[in-house]
Amino acid sequence: MTRKHAPRKKGSHTATVLSNVQAGECFWKLRLRFDSEAAKAFAGFTPGQFVQFDVSDLAIPSTDSIPTALLDGARRSVLLRRPFSFSDVTADGDTTTADLLYCIVGPASLRMTTLRKGDTAHLIGPLGNGFAVPEGKRAALLVVGGMGLPPIRCLAKWLNVEHPDIETVAFIGSRTVTALPLEERPARFDEGLSLSVPTFAALGIPSMVATDDGSAGHRGPVTECLSRWLQENADRPREEVIVYACGPERMLAAVAQGANAKDIDCQISMERRMACGIGLCQSCAVECRVAGSDETIYRLCCQDGPVFDARQVVFGADDA
Amino acid sequence: MAERFDMSVEFAGLTLANPVFTASGTCGYADELADFMDVDALGGFVTKSITLKPRKGNPTPRIVETDAGMLNAIGLANVGLDRFVAEKLPVIAPMKPAVFVNVAGTTIEEYVAVVERLAGEKALAGFELNISCPNVKKGGISFGTDPAQVEEITRAVKKACGSKVLIVKLAPAVTDISVTARAAVAGGADALSLINTFTAMVIDIETRRPVLANQTGGLSGPAIKPIAIYLVNKVYREVAREAGIPLLGLGGIRTAADAIEFLIAGATAVAVGTASFVEPDCAVQIVAGLRDYCARKKITRLAELTGSLDRPT
Repeated sequence: MTRKHAPRKKGSHTATVLSNVQAGECFWKLRLRFDSEAAKAFAGFTPGQFVQFDVSDLAIPSTDSIPTALLDGARRSVLLRRPFSFSDVTADGDTTTADLLYCIVGPASLRMTTLRKGDTAHLIGPLGNGFAVPEGKRAALLVVGGMGLPPIRCLAKWLNVEHPDIETVAFIGSRTVTALPLEERPARFDEGLSLSVPTFAALGIPSMVATDDGSAGHRGPVTECLSRWLQENADRPREEVIVYACGPERMLAAVAQGANAKDIDCQISMERRMACGIGLCQSCAVECRVAGSDETIYRLCCQDGPVFDARQVVFGADDA
Repeated sequence: MAERFDMSVEFAGLTLANPVFTASGTCGYADELADFMDVDALGGFVTKSITLKPRKGNPTPRIVETDAGMLNAIGLANVGLDRFVAEKLPVIAPMKPAVFVNVAGTTIEEYVAVVERLAGEKALAGFELNISCPNVKKGGISFGTDPAQVEEITRAVKKACGSKVLIVKLAPAVTDISVTARAAVAGGADALSLINTFTAMVIDIETRRPVLANQTGGLSGPAIKPIAIYLVNKVYREVAREAGIPLLGLGGIRTAADAIEFLIAGATAVAVGTASFVEPDCAVQIVAGLRDYCARKKITRLAELTGSLDRPT
C-alpha cells in the first residue's frame, strides 16, 4: 500500500470558522482554518479519516428557525462529540483549511448551524485510517450514497492530484435529487458517465447520478451503475481496478458483495455510533472476518477503520 | 517548582500522588490516552475489564446518548487474560499511577483464575472486582446485588490476591447499598468503588424498539452524579468510615468541582469515566483544578477533604 501522507499524531485542536452556510436543500458547509500545530496535523489528513467535533457548548438556533420535525430533538442536551469526515483539505503554508459538510438531523447538527465566522471550533483528530491506493491500480471507481459524499469527494481530489495516471469515475446515489449533497446542480443530469456533475467535473472526473425515485440520472440503486461499469469493462485485469465507497450500510453491503464476487479490491468507509473516537469506549464495533477461519471478531470503526477492506467486513443485522 | 500542597492520598496502604483515577472501561489500557495527556500525572488507573477468555462483546448499537449522559452496552469486550499479559502489561509496567486491573467473569473460578495469574505482577497495585456490570447475561451484576454472593466472591478473590489491593465495585441499583458494601468488607475488600452504571433503556419511537442491540445499557455521565454523591456519602457514614475502608468515588465526574464533592462526601479517591470520552485529558485537568481549589481554600493537605461533609443533624 502506498500512503502519500503518513497520518500524523492525533490530538485535541482548535480551528477558526471561516464560513458556515447552507449549501444545498439538505446540507450545510462549514469551512475551518487550522493554524500552527493544528495546521501541521491536518496537512497530513488522509481522505476518509475523521474528526470528533465538540458541539456541546454551542447555542441552539432560535425556535422559529428549527424545522418542526426537529423541535423535540432541539430540547435535548448534547454531551458527546460527533464524528465527521472532511470533503476537502488544503494545506497552504502555515494554515490548513478544511470543509465539513453536514445534514441537520438532531440536537448536535442543529447547534452547528449557529457557528459564525470567527468562532472557535474544538476538534480531536485526525482520527482513524483513511483510504489507501495499492500499487498497480489504473482505475478507481468511487461510489457515493447520500451523505457518504464528503470523504469520497476528498479522495477524488487526492486521486486527481497525487494519482493523475489512475482513471477515476464517480457514481453518486441518493433517494431523490434534492437529497444530493452537491453544491452546484446542473439543470439536467446525464443518464450516463459525463462531466455533468460540477463537484467531480472540476476534478476532471466523469460521474453519474442515480436516484431511487428517478428524479435525476439513473433510476434505481447506485450499485446498478457500478455493476454496469464493471460489466462493460470486464476485459480489464481485475488487479488494476479498485472500488471506494461511502454511504448507507445497505449500499456498502451491495458494493462489497459485487466487488468481492469479482475479487476486485474495494475499500469501504463504515459508520458507527461512537462516544470517543479514540479507542476508549469500544462502542463502534464492526464485525470482521478472521483470515483463514470461520470466526469473526469485532474491530473498532474509530481505530481499525473507518475505512475497511470490503473482504473483511461481515454485513448483518448490526446497524443495518 | 516544589509542590505547595500535599495532593497525595493514602489508599488501602498505597500512597498515591493524587486522588484522581481514570475509570475502568473509559480509558482502555492507557496507551490510547497517551496522545492526549501525561498518563503519569494521574494518581491511579483502572484498566478495562479483563476476563479469562477474550470476549467479542455485544452487537451494535452499543451506545446511545441521553440527556446529560449515555447508555453503553459494550458487553465486556476485551482481549482476554493471555493477550493482556503479553501485550498490555508491558505498556502498563513503566506507568507511575497505581494500576488496578478490573476483573470480570461469569463464575467465581474465572475471577480467581485471572487474579491468581496477575497477583505476582510487580507493575500492578491491585484489582477492581467487577461484580456490577449490567451488560452481560451471566455474572456481572447478578453477583453484585446479592450480599451473600458478594461476600463469597470477594473472599475467594481476596485469597488469590496475595499482597495486592482488592477494590470491590458496587452496583448502585440495590435496595440498600450499605448491605452490599458490608458484605464486600466482610469478604475482605480493601477498598470499595462506587458507583457502577444504572441499567437503563432508550426506545426508538419510530420503530418501537430499544435503540441498543442489547436492549438495555448502563447509564453513566453527569445525569447520575447526584445519586453517586448520595450513595458515596451513605456508604462512607454507614460502613467505610468505621471499617477504615477507603472509597473510590465515581459517577458523572467531569470537573474538579465534581471531584471535590465526592471527596467531601467521603471518597478518598475519585475516577473520571464518561467525561474522558469528550475530553480525553479531563482527569489531568481535574488534578490541576484540585490544586487551584486547595490554593483558594488554603488547604495544605487535600486528604483532609475526605468525609468533611458538614451535615446538619
